Amino acid sequence: MKHLQVLLLLAGLLLGSGLAQAANLDLQLAADPKNPSSPTMGDWMHFNSVISNTGQQAIDGLVAWISLVEVTAGHEQPMDLEDWSAHKAVTGTTLAPGGSLQTNWPVRLIKQGDYRVVISATDRNDKTVFTSPTIQFHVAQKPVVESRRILPVALGLPLFIGGLMGYRRYKQHHAG
Amino acid sequence: MKPSSLIAQKERGALLQNQRGLAWLLAYSGILSAFALLLISNKELSLLDNAQIVYMMAGTVTAAGALIAVIMGADAFAGERERGTLVPLLTAPVSPAQLLMGKALGLVSAWLLMYLLALPYLWAVGAGGQNLLQAIFYLALFGTPVVLGFGYLAMALSARSGSVLSSMLTSLIVLLFSASPLLIGPGLRNSVIGKAIDAVNPFSGALNTFDSVIIDSAPFSGQLARLALVLIWLSITFLAARVTARHPNFR
Repeated sequence: MKHLQVLLLLAGLLLGSGLAQAANLDLQLAADPKNPSSPTMGDWMHFNSVISNTGQQAIDGLVAWISLVEVTAGHEQPMDLEDWSAHKAVTGTTLAPGGSLQTNWPVRLIKQGDYRVVISATDRNDKTVFTSPTIQFHVAQKPVVESRRILPVALGLPLFIGGLMGYRRYKQHHAG
Repeated sequence: MKPSSLIAQKERGALLQNQRGLAWLLAYSGILSAFALLLISNKELSLLDNAQIVYMMAGTVTAAGALIAVIMGADAFAGERERGTLVPLLTAPVSPAQLLMGKALGLVSAWLLMYLLALPYLWAVGAGGQNLLQAIFYLALFGTPVVLGFGYLAMALSARSGSVLSSMLTSLIVLLFSASPLLIGPGLRNSVIGKAIDAVNPFSGALNTFDSVIIDSAPFSGQLARLALVLIWLSITFLAARVTARHPNFR
């Protein structure tokens, strides 16, 4: 019986120390109040995240990143943020117990559709990935290329150069 | 008037008054027109963000400009040799350095003309959007060394080989390889090899700057390393042209 009590005590201590070492992060995400009410392609949206260390130990090597998922019906897919955002991650930060990290994530809206944005975070030591609540938004289509501007240029300039060539040929022919 | 200015004037005139020069300009304009028309005929492309389209147009202008520069550069010495005008040129009171300077200035004039021709296209695809003026400015700042560099490379090969075909083919292979970032997506270029090529490729330097300033509205301070890369490219190719032009191939 005494042995069992010692074993239980040891197990409890090990479990307790394991829990104490695990990172404990709280992630909050909110859309910036200045965001356009009806976002369209080409607009900028900003999202503010707060990552708080709610554990008892400092978190080293914190990595937080933004993810964007398209949820348009029939086009569900994770998005490559290449053209959407130049600010894709925060790395190498240390968070003291009770400390928090506020980050502003600018996103440029490249394509129409429905999207969800989420911030994820993990640290160097723990294998857990913490995620924030998601924010969903709709990007309205904006025709960005106007044929009334393109057609005169795209057809006019080659025609002008072609006309110049014809004129020179005509002039040479008549001069000869 | 200096001999080099006279040669430059002749080269510039050849582009505007010569049927062959006008045909090159027509081809250049045709490339830009085809791309612009593709934008309005393809739904996916027409939905691209304005800045993305301006970036793509700036890249296309640089590639098409480099293509014409390669053709002009390859013709510079080897073309004169093949037409039988190189020896009379070199026996005239014109030093090889002046001859090269005249050809080099002619190339600058040609690029200036192509740049001006590209402005209506940039306006057509980018008016009403963001960073059009930045695109025009950075196309001049980064496109100029890249385009002229390819022209001078072709000039160097032209003087060395004495063959238009050979110098043009070699330059085109280098251009095709350098301009591959236009075709390969940024994702594929994120590999170790892709990053290594990007770090030394002047074309990538210009494209990444266009991407950075037109799409991401990044500041000038972030472009200094890439500016150094394209200027080094211009210096090396001009130096190569200068060295080979001292003793052009007559055979």
